Amino acid sequence: MIEVKNLCKEYHVVKKEEGIKGALKGLVKRESHKIAAVSNINFNIKEGEIVGFIGPNGAGKSTTIKMMSGILTPTSGEVFIDGKDITKHRKEVVRNIGVVFGQRTQLNWDLRLGETFELLRHIYQVDKEQYLKTLDTMDEILGVKELLDKPVRQMSLGQRVKGDLVAAMIHSPKVLFLDEPTIGLDVSSKYALRKFIKEINERRGTTIILTTHDLGDIQELCDRIIIINNGSIMEDGNLSGIVDRIAPYKTLIIQYFDEKIPEVEGAELIETDGNVAKYRFMKSETTAAKLIEELSAKKPIQDIAVEETGIEEIIRIAYS
Amino acid sequence: MRVFKTISHYLRVTLACVKMAFLIIVEYPSSIIGWLISNPIQFIVGFATIQFVVEQFGEINGWNYGQLAVLYGLSVISHALSMIFFVQGWFMGMYVIEGEFDRYLTRPLSVLYQFFFTQINVFGITDLIPGICVFIYGCYKIHFTVNIMNVLCIIIMLAGATLIRGGVYILLGTSSFFTRSANDFGQYTQEIFDKTTMYPISMYPESLQFILTYIIPIGWVSFYPVSSMLSIGDSVSGFPQVAGITLIVGMVVMTIAGIFFKYGLRSYESAGN
Amino acid sequence: MSSKKTSNKFIKNFKDKLNVYLYVYKIQIIRSMAYKFDVYGNIIMQTIIMIATAYFWKALFNSADSMGGVTVDTMLTYTVVSSMVSVLLTTNVEWRITESIKKGTIAIDMMRPVNIFKVFFAENLGAITALIFQNLLPIFIIGSLIIKVPVPNNLQDGLLFIISLILAFLINWYLAVIFGMWGFKVIEMSALIQVKKHLLRLLSGSIIPIWFFPNWLRGILECLPFMYIYQMPISIYVGQYTSDSLRKGLMVQLMWVVILFVTKNYLEKRVTKSVMIQGG
Repeated sequence: MIEVKNLCKEYHVVKKEEGIKGALKGLVKRESHKIAAVSNINFNIKEGEIVGFIGPNGAGKSTTIKMMSGILTPTSGEVFIDGKDITKHRKEVVRNIGVVFGQRTQLNWDLRLGETFELLRHIYQVDKEQYLKTLDTMDEILGVKELLDKPVRQMSLGQRVKGDLVAAMIHSPKVLFLDEPTIGLDVSSKYALRKFIKEINERRGTTIILTTHDLGDIQELCDRIIIINNGSIMEDGNLSGIVDRIAPYKTLIIQYFDEKIPEVEGAELIETDGNVAKYRFMKSETTAAKLIEELSAKKPIQDIAVEETGIEEIIRIAYS
Repeated sequence: MRVFKTISHYLRVTLACVKMAFLIIVEYPSSIIGWLISNPIQFIVGFATIQFVVEQFGEINGWNYGQLAVLYGLSVISHALSMIFFVQGWFMGMYVIEGEFDRYLTRPLSVLYQFFFTQINVFGITDLIPGICVFIYGCYKIHFTVNIMNVLCIIIMLAGATLIRGGVYILLGTSSFFTRSANDFGQYTQEIFDKTTMYPISMYPESLQFILTYIIPIGWVSFYPVSSMLSIGDSVSGFPQVAGITLIVGMVVMTIAGIFFKYGLRSYESAGN
Repeated sequence: MSSKKTSNKFIKNFKDKLNVYLYVYKIQIIRSMAYKFDVYGNIIMQTIIMIATAYFWKALFNSADSMGGVTVDTMLTYTVVSSMVSVLLTTNVEWRITESIKKGTIAIDMMRPVNIFKVFFAENLGAITALIFQNLLPIFIIGSLIIKVPVPNNLQDGLLFIISLILAFLINWYLAVIFGMWGFKVIEMSALIQVKKHLLRLLSGSIIPIWFFPNWLRGILECLPFMYIYQMPISIYVGQYTSDSLRKGLMVQLMWVVILFVTKNYLEKRVTKSVMIQGG
């Protein structure tokens, strides 16, 4: 569905000097240099995938998604959507994509929500029948019909995001881009948004690309995540695969009856606290059951817990 | 066939946009009243100052009061038309800085078309009123008879003049893609247009006249067509020819502006980078 | 002892506040200088307008050496000085106020420990300081080379001009603030601000001095504040005044400053109150 080949983007950044002297100097002479925001990114996305882009601020994920949706012109490299280069055939390609960008709305602030939909219907040449059908589907998922006659300026953020989602779906795009869609939303709006993403993916097979800082989004939605840092892809794969690669270990926590803590082969004792001990072991080398068996042979055990490395931890490791 | 389809697509969207623009006016009735007062005042007072000057000095470079009124009126009319269709060009810098082109780029229509027409400025009509009034007053003063042929030529000329103005707004606005600054030159642009379209440019030195004819062809917005319409000075061609040239000049300026805009859009950086 | 303490505290407080405004002033200078292109663009546009106006007068005086005691030389100086004065009278305080109303930040702005209008004033002065280097000097140089060196009528007129200009600046600024504050009542202010802008441009004598206007209109304009912003200081500069009109003119200028200052303070109080109650 989407092919990204050797994608690069450079920005010119003007150096600013401090103080009034610097400002005066800047009038005459100004130095600028290039910064690579994205350097040589490659990946393919299949139809019907939900792909999450994560990475720290300024890592290049927004730049990437904006190049994929035709907003930014790549410095070099290509983006193909459905086999067509988006830079060369923008007007044709964007018929197949929908975009919702974070806190930016495409709804007309002064008018009823329905007016914006009506305009988009004309822009994308969707006939009335098809439009009403789409609206029905969207209403089932999001409950949007009650908002149609409400002026956008009177809507809450959650309602506006709903409006923007439907606006992006009016022409039934094959690919939907979402840049930080859950930012600033309350719990119930977040829930509605996630449900929306899952349902349109299941019902219509819409391919979904999203960037987010919300790890809940990733855990609940994404089949695949791409971690971007410093303009390059650090990791690309499904969540459990990435966890296995970045943190190929688990932690075994055992509570004994006294403070004499035994050691065991195949695991590293990383922390003790009174009668509680933490062992770290590699998933590929041994299992928790085997370790427990060996340890219980050495000392009586009171309680047991096994900890997977959390997603926050994984991301922290991947970013650094 | 495909061209036909494209045109009807754009026409439908334009109609939807105009409808939305009117709905917004209904939403804010007080602002239409504001503009209905503000814009006519501006041009009526502007015209009055010309009258005072002419009363003192007789005529300006061989143009009498009535002829100046015709020139002024047509200049205001093309200004009004450019305000309706192209006023957003004045604010292009702001759109560039705030990343507002994102939404136009992700829709299957020309970016420049969306930029101007999805926010068509119906309020610009309030500029038309004083323009038409002064024009009719001027025609009456100099006993200029308006026939169908003239009206046709005037419409062609106004189309060209509007395109020239719009093209200049685009050219100036596009510079924001390279400078990444939100400065709007709207007021200066209007002042320069006022100075070069409401008075005969024959009063300027020849070097300036040359620039205004061939390089930044503002002379075609009103001076040349009105000179030939009223047979003032040594214009050799008839009004229909000059009106036609005006339209051609307008299309050339607009085409150049469109190409420059497309080139500028490649440097668009969206917002928040 | 305690009274000394409070007075010390007062002085410290005062100094702190002054520092805030000085800081705003300085930052605005730096900010204004940030965009190289804007500066060049503005200079080019302003000089084009100035040169066009100069040729307008040359064309008019083609047939007559002087008109009502005014010569073409006077008008050329008038044109260059008017362009320079327009730089010094730059203000965007109306937009600052309406923006802050539109974005809803006005309540926060008004509650700050520093007076928001003084902050705007400091900002305005900062912007103008930057403009003196960026626009005023280039306009002066280009104007002198292409049109005429704008020397004042005599030294005394030059000094009187400065006094009159300061008064003109205050009239202009207070007028802008008052129009900006109207935005509290009428959110859609753009049209009203435009009316004021055009009237100011056309009736203040910035382009065409009101000498050339008919008597009845001159009578009306003398009762409005507009002509005291451009016409008054510039006509002093070029020496187009009588000792009578000078005395009267300066007095009226001063009167307008006082009237507008009082009006502004009154509106400010009312606005502050309504913001406190409604929270914007």
